[in-house]
Amino acid sequence: MSPQGAAEVGTELPSLTVTLRREDLVRYAGASGDFNPIHWSDRMAAALGLPGVIAHGMLTMASAARVVTDWLDDPADLVEYGVRFTKPVVVPDDDKGATVTFSAKVDKVADGLAEIDITAIAGEDKVLGRARAVVRVP
Amino acid sequence: MTIDATMVGRSYAAAESYQVGREKIREFADAIGDPNPAYRGDEAIAPPTFAFVLSAGALDLLLADPDLGLRLDRIVHGAQKFNYVRPIKAGDEVAARATITTVRKAGDVEVIMYETVLTTAEGEPLATSTATVTHNRADA
Repeated sequence: MSPQGAAEVGTELPSLTVTLRREDLVRYAGASGDFNPIHWSDRMAAALGLPGVIAHGMLTMASAARVVTDWLDDPADLVEYGVRFTKPVVVPDDDKGATVTFSAKVDKVADGLAEIDITAIAGEDKVLGRARAVVRVP
Repeated sequence: MTIDATMVGRSYAAAESYQVGREKIREFADAIGDPNPAYRGDEAIAPPTFAFVLSAGALDLLLADPDLGLRLDRIVHGAQKFNYVRPIKAGDEVAARATITTVRKAGDVEVIMYETVLTTAEGEPLATSTATVTHNRADA
């Protein structure tokens, strides 16, 4: 399977903006089994010195992966994926929630593999660091 | 006791395999807001980060090791990486084994890296999850 468009160094993948509300964190907690209270209780988040309830890092990582897997014809072509969680995504208890925008760019193409750098921005903050995916390309 | 570098190499295998079902995959895909058709139906594969869910059973054992003295509510996930051999799909019986690979201490803070190897019950490799977590013992 081939990605939509050519995989050349510098190719920018279509960006993706995701809104995370409290409901989304509760849904992710249930589906993933991660019931750490910092992801649903303001009281417990504050007790740990957080500015508020924060999104699961793994939820942000899952959203970031979509920039790459939406671009691929087949998500099975993802062979490696890693991130650093650099800043928490604070999700207020309102209708607006938090907005995270993901973008990605092909950094390297060699031996049938493309290395893609992903950027994740919430407000002014880069919430992921060294986010990189390696995918099979034709 | 508390975790230290002599505990590198300790490994924890989940007692039971995890049977991956297509409805669990759909539920997880819905929860991450991903409408990709590859994650639906009889031939469903799991979204890439579902591998972390499959590693959770082994992590629970690591956290429960009294020699390490770790507490989940003092742990922050610092970094995460996956290497995929093939996609995890509905019908897979997945076994998970977590191994501590690095321990660095700085005062009350411990940076722990552990690697979880996911295989089928027959031993076919599926994926490796490498997690870096920070454990803070301050005020413990």
